[in-house]
Amino acid sequence: MSYIPVIGLEIHAELLTDSKVFCGCANEFGGDANTRVCPRCSGLPGTLPILNKQAVVLAARAGLAIDGRVNNYSSFDRKNYFYPDLPKAYQITQFENPICTGGYIEIDGKKLRIHHLHIEEDAGKLVHDDYEGISMADYNRCGVPLIEIVTEPDFRSVEEVQKFVEQMALRLKYAGVCDAKMEQGSMRVDVNISIMPAGSTVFGTRAEIKNLNSIKAIGRAIEYEIKRQSEILDSGGTVVQETRRFNDNHGDTKALRSKEEAHDYRYFPEPDIPPVFMSDEEIDTIRKSMPEMPNKRFLRYTQEYGLTAEEANLIVSDRAFSDLYDECCFEGKCYKKTASLMLVGLNRLLNDTQESVSDIKFGASELSKLASLWDENKINSNSAMEILERMFRSGGDPAEIAEKNGMIMTDNTDELSGIVDKVLSENADAVEGYKNGNAKLFGFLMGRVIAEVGKSANPAAIKKILSEKI
Amino acid sequence: MKLKQMRQQLDSKEIGAKELAFEYIEKIKIDEFNSFITVCEDSALQTADAAQKMINAGESKALTGIPLSVKDNICTKGIRTTCASRMLEDFVPPYDAAVVDKLNSQKAVIVGKTNMDEFAMGGSSQTSYFGGVKNPADSSRVPGGSSGGAAASVAAGLCAAALGSDTGGSIRQPASFCGVTGLKPTYGRVSRFGLIAFASSFDQIGPIASCAEDAGYVLNVIAGADKNDMTSSERETEDFTSRCGMSVKGLKIGLPKEFFENGVQEDVAKAVLLAADKLKSEGAQIIECSLPSLEYAVSAYYLISSAEAASNLARFDGVKYGHRSKNGDSYSELIENSRNEGFGDEVKRRILLGNYALSSGYYDAYYKNASRIRTKIKGDYSGLFEKCDVILTPTAPTTAYKIGFQENDPVKMYMSDICTVTANIAGLPSISIPCGADESNMPIGMSITGNYYNESLIIGVADAYEKLR
Repeated sequence: MSYIPVIGLEIHAELLTDSKVFCGCANEFGGDANTRVCPRCSGLPGTLPILNKQAVVLAARAGLAIDGRVNNYSSFDRKNYFYPDLPKAYQITQFENPICTGGYIEIDGKKLRIHHLHIEEDAGKLVHDDYEGISMADYNRCGVPLIEIVTEPDFRSVEEVQKFVEQMALRLKYAGVCDAKMEQGSMRVDVNISIMPAGSTVFGTRAEIKNLNSIKAIGRAIEYEIKRQSEILDSGGTVVQETRRFNDNHGDTKALRSKEEAHDYRYFPEPDIPPVFMSDEEIDTIRKSMPEMPNKRFLRYTQEYGLTAEEANLIVSDRAFSDLYDECCFEGKCYKKTASLMLVGLNRLLNDTQESVSDIKFGASELSKLASLWDENKINSNSAMEILERMFRSGGDPAEIAEKNGMIMTDNTDELSGIVDKVLSENADAVEGYKNGNAKLFGFLMGRVIAEVGKSANPAAIKKILSEKI
Repeated sequence: MKLKQMRQQLDSKEIGAKELAFEYIEKIKIDEFNSFITVCEDSALQTADAAQKMINAGESKALTGIPLSVKDNICTKGIRTTCASRMLEDFVPPYDAAVVDKLNSQKAVIVGKTNMDEFAMGGSSQTSYFGGVKNPADSSRVPGGSSGGAAASVAAGLCAAALGSDTGGSIRQPASFCGVTGLKPTYGRVSRFGLIAFASSFDQIGPIASCAEDAGYVLNVIAGADKNDMTSSERETEDFTSRCGMSVKGLKIGLPKEFFENGVQEDVAKAVLLAADKLKSEGAQIIECSLPSLEYAVSAYYLISSAEAASNLARFDGVKYGHRSKNGDSYSELIENSRNEGFGDEVKRRILLGNYALSSGYYDAYYKNASRIRTKIKGDYSGLFEKCDVILTPTAPTTAYKIGFQENDPVKMYMSDICTVTANIAGLPSISIPCGADESNMPIGMSITGNYYNESLIIGVADAYEKLR
């Protein structure tokens, strides 16, 4: 029988705050165990949480990045459960009144809706030493601020999920909310999945697969789960509601706990943190400080700037890269030439040197000038790429570099005529061959002239004179 | 001796800070009421030395060199803080509570940590792992609780004043039982940072002292906003003794009738009404009024406070600090045994009750409804304060009873909180002062409750009554 999967996501993203969400410990990744721990985040008795305002603002930004509504009133709740990585034995989260509600991301014309987005604290980590037979707790991650983004069960394919997660990661990066490094766990995805017979509208029983930390793992886990659930249904069985864990090595999922074993979290309002009020003015201020989101930029690049979808996608895939592109285009309006310089030249240079956009020695205005020189036919494409490389290595002004290295294209017809004459007389055989019908030889003669002229060669002008003279 | 007098004597060097500290420590050492869990002899004498230096330099502050006790659920850096529980028998906090920090910065002399009901749950101070506290007025009777050690330490003259904590009456009821004065400030007036939480939305630290003015004098030092406690109020503090000596002429005093029914001992009701008469004769206006929601107050209080307690006490699992069982091979066995061995019966009872009230399927019926009652009680009070300046009630339905009389009857114990819990539910300031004695000569206390942040007024009214007595 053929089935359609019904999928919803819970995405956890670590916020890029300086300190943890309820204490002053640094919010960083890595380092020795229990080096970023204080009485507050380790839950010593008598300590109280102090809400990090930066975390609230970043969560609001995340909501705006996915076109959600930032609520004027939100509040915190306690989620109670025992686990040794949770020193207070409750997680502070938002259950009743999340900071953001609604929102969506559009993938291939389909709106994939977001139910809500809330703030919560991360738990620590357990390190198991099987040799010694002991477990150790590392509380460095305790109290790291997270947002959890919960979607509606709108997904019907692996592809939708993967594109959505990629777009989500990009939006969060654009908004400066999260670095979305899935391999480091700063963004993690839980997948809720059920299947129903094709044509049905009644959802099946779902399984939840926890903590998927790569786009590839998400795909493999969903595919495995579809296969597993299909086989159960095909053989007349019933899918049980349960939480499962994906094993990256085996490519399969294993049951973690069933619905009956699920925790009763005994949520209730967190009495130590007063509700958060955000006025419309405050929300507007945050809205105004938001960068244009990648989906909007994509539309602008393809519809207004005439870039191909592939070019536009490549540029928006990195906020700093796209920012640089935009800055250049606002100055010089050489959309295609700037895109070529960046996607062909700059990308290669960055790859070769393993540098990032922020390391670049020249500014947008230099790059814009370079694009203009090329666009106005003052230099040829080889020169444009060469100047870019020189600027990349040691900075400098593109016009000066062009001037100094004789790259300004010459349009002195007398001079060019002389060189063309010289080349024609030196290559009488080729001229003869061309006249006898070997059209390819025109290119050869062009090349000879360009070589004679050097870096200032203007291929268009040369072509014109050569055609006249031959 | 009143605190202001003690201040003068210290500043004029009639008495030395160290001699004073020594004198109190020696008295504590022969304390027969079990008021203290830990005596801070060394640190007290050191602080007294430092206090004397401040005094000599003419830099003394309100509490410099004054011997105070601190309830053992308030964290003191380097001094064990047990909550009277086996669970925290050896817990030494690496930080001071905000109030302790304030005392230390003035070089107030903390003579010791007072005994209490385990985790502040109880009204008798008999549930302590370190043994029950006795009432200095009659050592066969309970001192009330949970700040029983604090009240006893003041009543027995083992310190000049005490810091207690009040979640449902835990400062006022023991003050009433021991014949001293206890003040629960407005919720948020005093930082809770470093107070080991029982029920976070009710807990408030406050003073127990010999008179209303002394209570205000101590509150002056411990009140104020604290960046370490988001529920502490930004509101400006003031001199809370400023209205001592005021006239009660024209003051509107409300007597809500429900507080004089519901099993309130006859001589207790009588004594409070007599006090009202005295105030009336001084020109105060007595207003008969009603707080109908009182009927549901105890149930609402026990549901919410136990729910919060269940969550607050879940962190005591024997993994990081506190009592760890020697038995148990797995994580769940370890925490089960540690908690089973570490907590006493009353604490376990509240944890069970609280988790039950929060559990899925019961939350709406219990916790949610209790929250609605809470809103209703706040509303009723705000109605009362439209026509009254203060509310006068008994502090407890009874006077101090015999040790062993009702501690094993939880429902009876819980019901005896009826007069005090509403101030916590609504977050209002309330002060209990003595207003006579019963036929066994046990002290009777009455409570003056004010509107939010009206501590100065209720202290002023209490002071006015003391002068009539």
